[in-house]
Amino acid sequence: MTSDTTDRTSEAAAKPAKKPAPRRRSSKLPLVGLGVLVVVLLLDFFLKAIIPDSSIRQLLMLAACNVLVALSLNVINGMAGQFSIGHAGFIGIGGYTSAVMASHLHVSLGGGEPTFARSFIVVPLCLMASAGMAGLFGFLVGLPSLRLKGDYLAIVTLGFAEIFRLVIATAQASDANAKGGVLTKIGSALSSLGGQNGYQGIANQGVPLYAGPFWVFGLAFVLGVVAWRIKFSGWGRALRALREDEIAGAAVGVDPTRYKVTSFVIAAVGAGIAGGLMAIMRDGTPTVNPDNYNFAASFDAITMVILGGSGSVTGSAIGGVFITFTIKAIELLQNTSVVQDLRRSFEGLDLNALRMIIYAMVLVALMILRPEGLLGERELFQKRAPVKGPAKGKA
Amino acid sequence: MDLVLSHVSKNFGGLRAVGDVGFTVKKNTIFGLIGPNGAGKTTVFNLITGVYKHDEGTIRFGDQDLAPLKPAQIARVGIARTFQNIRLFSQLTVIENLLVACELQKRAHLAAAIFRLPVHYEDEEAMNERAMELLRVFDLEDVAEEPSTSLPYGNQRRLEIARAMMLKPKLLLLDEPAAGMNYGEAEGLKTQIRWLRDTFDLSVVLVEHNMQVVMGVCEDIHVLDHGETIAHGSPEEVRQHPKVLAAYLGEDDSEVDARKDGAPFRAEGKNA
Repeated sequence: MTSDTTDRTSEAAAKPAKKPAPRRRSSKLPLVGLGVLVVVLLLDFFLKAIIPDSSIRQLLMLAACNVLVALSLNVINGMAGQFSIGHAGFIGIGGYTSAVMASHLHVSLGGGEPTFARSFIVVPLCLMASAGMAGLFGFLVGLPSLRLKGDYLAIVTLGFAEIFRLVIATAQASDANAKGGVLTKIGSALSSLGGQNGYQGIANQGVPLYAGPFWVFGLAFVLGVVAWRIKFSGWGRALRALREDEIAGAAVGVDPTRYKVTSFVIAAVGAGIAGGLMAIMRDGTPTVNPDNYNFAASFDAITMVILGGSGSVTGSAIGGVFITFTIKAIELLQNTSVVQDLRRSFEGLDLNALRMIIYAMVLVALMILRPEGLLGERELFQKRAPVKGPAKGKA
Repeated sequence: MDLVLSHVSKNFGGLRAVGDVGFTVKKNTIFGLIGPNGAGKTTVFNLITGVYKHDEGTIRFGDQDLAPLKPAQIARVGIARTFQNIRLFSQLTVIENLLVACELQKRAHLAAAIFRLPVHYEDEEAMNERAMELLRVFDLEDVAEEPSTSLPYGNQRRLEIARAMMLKPKLLLLDEPAAGMNYGEAEGLKTQIRWLRDTFDLSVVLVEHNMQVVMGVCEDIHVLDHGETIAHGSPEEVRQHPKVLAAYLGEDDSEVDARKDGAPFRAEGKNA
């Protein structure tokens, strides 16, 4: 103990000092981490053998990416209590950044098959670029808009995401000879991202898919731990305090704007990493399409967080997995013969459109039965269960 | 350090909430700020803590001008406050409420927490210990892990003061700490305020309606009415001051007028 006021208070304390139990450092994590490392390494090589169906593999990895999406959105929507409905924008920025970067790196590394060894160069660089780019935009969007609250912030974030998507989708190159200012150059640069058809790598060769299960599952684990630690850090505590009462928070020295902007940037960085991973995910699609980042994607992300319990790290992760599998389950249902038969008679039948209705029903049921989400703000595997106060043993 | 307000004014639209108010809170004094409802006492608190910005005048704490500072920065300067309508972090436990208040004194920041650097553990342990000590002082030790809203009203008030004390303030602003207290509790509060001042070596500014507390504990009293200073002095001087008596008890005519107007609920002390 170094601070001098502690001494002041201890003098002041009339009762004999009873030491609170010091928090033990968890010694399990290195072991668990090692275990996870081994597992993801094995998965990287043998997942194909275990699960021959590539669509299932894709689904599993997509679930891991969506866990990252939910974890990152949870920082802003759950912990900070702000309402952002433009998360797809940051996922998209991450996706495009990493797809472009991976394509260029792939070419400069000599092309060919994306190998596991090479992924140690490509994936970290791509994800860092994605995270940086998304974080930068998070800062630019967050700084002015976090003075707004509730609905207003929601509108700004939605606007941002839609602007991003539409700019990419509609960017057109002007004539090569035309003299253009900076804007024209930006326009042609953006149009090289493929517009409405999506970005398909250099010379339409497809985006090289470097991120195998090692990266996807490994990062889901690592960032899950990071999210957990953020929540249970002093910083996370201060953020939750601000969610309760900004004026009181400021009165004890927690600057609301600073904390909210930081949380927004963290959420954007997380979304950037998630989007970056999705874009270069093995067994994923080798294109990045602006339509992947529309409002429905943002809405999916919100559903994950709310379903799992906003503010809960494990809850968000569960929500991420659940929603991913729901989407897939509906697609599978779509392909069953019964539905196909029905489709022949009703052409308009599209279960993917019905997805929104199913979501809505699930959410309505949840709001009635468990308004705080599956887990509320609690966590699975929480070390210190909410104690009902120590037994009163005053002499 | 002295808190000096000079010629401070604040308008809300056309309403002059505080007009040309000035006073000095000397180091280590217990200072009372009183006045009828709507006199602008809480507004003065909000101006000192930066929740509102004053339109005119200066507010200085020691040699620091508080005008350009944001509320969080003012808290860092060493000015802590409680609120008239208790503002606790309701979803957080009692001890967490205190821990939030020492966030700015930590050496370890977010990165340290993510990587679990040794400094993170040292900080958390030191802060936990300090919070527990304060909880012991305020007799809230037994409920440290309970959600703060589960506490009875009186304990919530004490918790708010404990949270403010986490900041190691040099100046403590208490907004109606005796609200809702009975005679015995108010007597206890008087002792506690003096004890806080003596033990932690700070100045206290008190906004209070409870005259038992104000007259018993304050060494210097400033009286506001309609946002303006009407008296200043020792408890004895203020008690005798004709304007103070008028503001608190009202003048005969106004009461009669109020009834004639057919406005029996007109606020007391508001002269026609």
